[in-house]
Formats: sequence, C-alpha cells, structure tokens
Amino acid sequence: MVGSLAQPTHLPPYFKLRKVSSKSAREREREPSLFAFAMVLLQPDPFLNELTSMYERTTERGSVWVTLKRSSMKSKAKRNKMTSAGETIEYRCLVRATDGKKTISTVLSAKDHLRFQASYATILKAHMSALKKRERRDKKKAGDGQTKQEDLKKPPKKSSS
Amino acid sequence: MVYISSWDEFAERSIQLFRADPQSVSCVLTSRYVMKYRHCDGKLVLKVTDNRECLKFKTDQAQDARKMEKLNNIFFTLMARGPDVDISEVSGKEQSEAQPTKKGRGRKQ
Repeated sequence: MVGSLAQPTHLPPYFKLRKVSSKSAREREREPSLFAFAMVLLQPDPFLNELTSMYERTTERGSVWVTLKRSSMKSKAKRNKMTSAGETIEYRCLVRATDGKKTISTVLSAKDHLRFQASYATILKAHMSALKKRERRDKKKAGDGQTKQEDLKKPPKKSSS
Repeated sequence: MVYISSWDEFAERSIQLFRADPQSVSCVLTSRYVMKYRHCDGKLVLKVTDNRECLKFKTDQAQDARKMEKLNNIFFTLMARGPDVDISEVSGKEQSEAQPTKKGRGRKQ
C-alpha cells in the first residue's frame, strides 16, 4: 500500500516515497509461481471437494477442464519389466482437473470408479447450470411441474384437461 | 479440429476411438477424453482424441449435459475395466452398436 511508508518531512509533498513493487492484489494473483505447475495427486474424495470449489470459483470467469485418461501410473521401464516378467499390468483411470492455474488429479481403480462417477455426476449436475434449457413445447402444457425436459421418449398420451 | 454436430455420432465415434487404442503397440494409452466448461459463457466442449484423430462436440444446451453424463459413465467403465468390456450392461445406449469385437455373447458368426 502506498501510504504505509513514513514520508520524508524535509522534502516537498510531491516527492512521495512508494514501494517498488506496488502491485495490486489482482496483479499478484496473476504472477506465475512455481507451485502453480505442480500436479497435485489426491485421493478421490478430496479431489471431488477440490473440484467442487473449482467450479464455484469460476462462475464469473474462467473455465474448468476435466480430463479422463486410462493409465497404469507406472513408468515405461517398470511397465516393460512387468510385461517381460509375465505380470499383468493393472490399468486405472486418471482424472485431472484444472482451472488454468491449479491442477489436481486422482487415480481410480475399477472398484473406486463406480462411487466416483456417481459423485462426479452429482457435482456436474449441480454446477453446470449456465447451459440453456430448451423450451420445446410451449403449446402442450402436458403435466404440471415438468421443469426438466427429459424428452427422450414421447409422452404416452396427452394430458387430460 | 473436427466439431461434430450430432451427439449420437460423437458418442459412437468417440467410443470406437477409445476402444481402438493400440495398447499392445507401445503399452502407452494415448486416448483421452477432455471436458471444458465455462460458466460465464454457458458453454460446454467435449474432446476425445488419441493424438492422431480428434473429435469435438460443443454445446450450450442443458440436455446435452445430461447425455454427457451417460457418456461419462461409459468412459469411466471403459477406462477402469478395459477396452474390451461389454458396455451394453452399463447403459442401454450401446445396444444399437455393432457387436463387440472380442467378447461375443456365445456364438461367433
């Protein structure tokens, strides 16, 4: 802040002392720091919590990328060693999420993924609220309280008036 | 970048791309499924690529988000269990697809 330094009294007021790095908080935020590029590997549940806060943080601006990829999470040397030794390599699902600044990730095995995908679906449903909802039927007010348009199948009959 | 306009085409091709991942060649799986969401623009973009071919789908419709959730389930299953898994048990979506390559239900044709 500008006014935090003791001003020299013998100088006229326009020789105000300022701190050299008087950056605003916003500029400091944008500074690349070494830690921003570290990939944080988390357990599935902390990952989901962190993902939720990522979505909450980026409502005004910014994007959230989520990447799904299959991986054994072992280095190539180890993999080759395992195949030549006849061991089967277990593959898992790697999930990464980033908001452009911070990256988090987690690894799911076959038994984790069912629980994860349920929670993940809940998070997405809760946060992807900015997408447009299509008002298809304006005339046919079939059934009240039909706020969701799950119109994959046609309604069996018209609603009786 | 190839943007596909039909959801069904995108879903089918991306699953094929995933399953065709040449695992035996380099023991490295290169296919990935990326989802980008921008709340401020209300846009959702999906990308499936194996670093050679790339399929993308862009939308701003809530109904596509619901379809995406089903596709997510399919991908999770494919990835966690393996590309040969019979995914018609996951959702009814894949019943219209051609027979799975390896695991037949019984009779081979």
